[in-house]
Amino acid sequence: MPHVEVLPNSTASIAPGWTYVVDTGYDPSKVAINPKNKKRAAAQPRAPRGDGELTSRQQLAIARRIAELNRDNDPKQAIEIPGKSAVPKTQNARRIIQYQRQIKHWLDDEEAQLAQLQQAPQPRAATTLSRLGAHPSRRTTNLITSIPPTPSEATTPAPPSTPAPPKAQSELDDEPLLSVDTSMPPPVNPAELQALLSSPPLPYAASYAAPPPSNGPPRRHFCDNCGYWGSIRCIKCGARVCGMECKEAHEATRCLKWA
Amino acid sequence: MNDDQDYTATMPPKGSKRASLAAPSKTLVLDNGGYTLKAGIVSSANSEPSYDTCAVIPNCIARSTRDRRTYVASELEDCKDFGELAFRRPVEKGFIVNWEAQKAIWDHEFSGNSAGDGLRCDPKETNLLLTERPNCPKELQKNCDEIVFEQFEFAAYHRSIGPVFNAYHPFEPNSLFSLPQECLLLIDTSYSDTTVLPVYNGQLIQAAVRRLTVGGKLLTNYLKELSSLRHYNMMEETYLLNEIKEAVSFIVPSYQQFEKHLEQTWKGRVGDKRAVDPSIVLDYVLPDYEHSIHGHARPHDPAQSKLRRGLQPQQGPKEDLLPLGNERFAVPELLFNPSDIGIEESGLPGAIMEALSVLPEAIRVGMMANVVVVGGNSLIPGFMERLDSELRALIPSHYLLNLTRAEDPIKHTWLGAARFASQPERLKEVLVSKAEYDERGSAWLAKKFANT
Ligand SMILES: [Zn+2]
Ligand SMILES: [Zn+2]
Repeated sequence: MPHVEVLPNSTASIAPGWTYVVDTGYDPSKVAINPKNKKRAAAQPRAPRGDGELTSRQQLAIARRIAELNRDNDPKQAIEIPGKSAVPKTQNARRIIQYQRQIKHWLDDEEAQLAQLQQAPQPRAATTLSRLGAHPSRRTTNLITSIPPTPSEATTPAPPSTPAPPKAQSELDDEPLLSVDTSMPPPVNPAELQALLSSPPLPYAASYAAPPPSNGPPRRHFCDNCGYWGSIRCIKCGARVCGMECKEAHEATRCLKWA
Repeated sequence: MNDDQDYTATMPPKGSKRASLAAPSKTLVLDNGGYTLKAGIVSSANSEPSYDTCAVIPNCIARSTRDRRTYVASELEDCKDFGELAFRRPVEKGFIVNWEAQKAIWDHEFSGNSAGDGLRCDPKETNLLLTERPNCPKELQKNCDEIVFEQFEFAAYHRSIGPVFNAYHPFEPNSLFSLPQECLLLIDTSYSDTTVLPVYNGQLIQAAVRRLTVGGKLLTNYLKELSSLRHYNMMEETYLLNEIKEAVSFIVPSYQQFEKHLEQTWKGRVGDKRAVDPSIVLDYVLPDYEHSIHGHARPHDPAQSKLRRGLQPQQGPKEDLLPLGNERFAVPELLFNPSDIGIEESGLPGAIMEALSVLPEAIRVGMMANVVVVGGNSLIPGFMERLDSELRALIPSHYLLNLTRAEDPIKHTWLGAARFASQPERLKEVLVSKAEYDERGSAWLAKKFANT
């Protein structure tokens, strides 16, 4: 049942620059958690969920704030290394020790290199579990396709000539409490396993977890000032607040801070 | 052979040819984290390494504007005033980025008079077993390899993704079940970020590694931001906010509990003022760095907070209180709901399911039966219970879920690597000597490490 926050006095509701937001009051206890959820289309494009109303400026503001929260070093703060430093022993060492680059520069380089590789003709048509996709910074492989078939769907048993299944599987088969279950997974296909084990690491940017599934609970919104539910949206910056007191505090402090 | 090795360990024959032929018998095992480095010297003659052999040292250089001192790594122990302490960290997002600072810290901790007794070593007579975080950019790996051999001149070296060594921990399975040792799903939730690492027969399944932005650093910075917005400007008090985070954070067991606590900690609004629930809201007594170096939490006293705004007690020490309500559980909640602050990632349970979805089902079953959690965030009260219940809801009901936290989640990765280093045959297989590096170069070395 939707839960609408109503302010205690009517004058507040006509305050300029603010809109009410219907709080859907998502209650996970009323939503059966579907184990098939994991087959969700996790690689869907990163669109804001629930309220498709974030402007690109607001998204940029959120990204700036997260980058700030995730920063390791403050570039404005230069802390000198105390004492005299030993002379670098080789040209390589000198160059590396003198770098004043931050992690984002190295990651940008990695992305640029991958983009170049993408443009160059590829020697092999499809690398195993090719997750680089068209955009190096994102995994574009649809996860649904990479999920192995469920027992009922498995139609191709491993050919008899292939080596014995790995030990893990034989142990699983010997495991009484698991093997009584008729829904035991099919044996691992050795070729598939080998491909999996030999596939290279993902580029850094591609290693991040996918966005939450679009059919999952909607994003929760909190008061930007006090952390309680945020049922009122600031039109200027998109932040949420819980009431008039926090609205004033928000305007006096953080409104448009990251814009 | 063994005699030779023992000889090099006790009396390094400087410049002797012998030393360059056989790998030394002592190994510096180093888990070089973004917040602390975990280090210890392991000798193959030693018996089983233990947590006691591992030193945990801040991996930073800190500068105090108050006493105008610069503290390098373990020197922070001497610091008496953490106010406005600024930090320089060589590791960013989990990777060694600034070698000027990292070298200064390694020099300080491992060589010369500043080195601790247990850690002092001559790199020329020592192997280095170095852990790294997954998905490290290749250029940074190359920098690391070149510095290790060209600047430090370690005798021999191996670099590997840290948690892989956790597969070498003897795992005591539940007595009822004989679980496949081949499968290990390692969750590393530490300072820089949180990673999900499926390990099969001691080999990391790289394509299935997943990462969350949220780590201890982000949680501390978030608490710092909230406290500064709501109470005092504490933007320069990273050390203190980390201390407060560790003292007061907890993770709620469920969405319903989150909702309930949010109500209990709300002050209400104009016309509908509410009393906050003192069972959740705490006052943190801030250190004044005169009488106290560290603060402490105590039950919230609304009268005190009113006093704080105006009158201070006439007698007794002046107290500064930081009230903490929903910050206590809403901050660590980001591990499970990063989208609460707009990070477009599913939480830890979702990231685990995503990593599993890459694996064949039979291996998935094995992974769920052996999930081990390491890293400091796993110590937040409620973390394990929440992860367990959310995972159970996500996986098929006939899967066995066995989730454990390492006995010491901070030192666990180091101990795994130390156990590996204490087995000469295993170690010999992966070590690369300086002579080999000098002959074949860093591109060859990068390939070699990528395949072991
Ligand atoms: Zn509010
Ligand atoms: Zn605003």
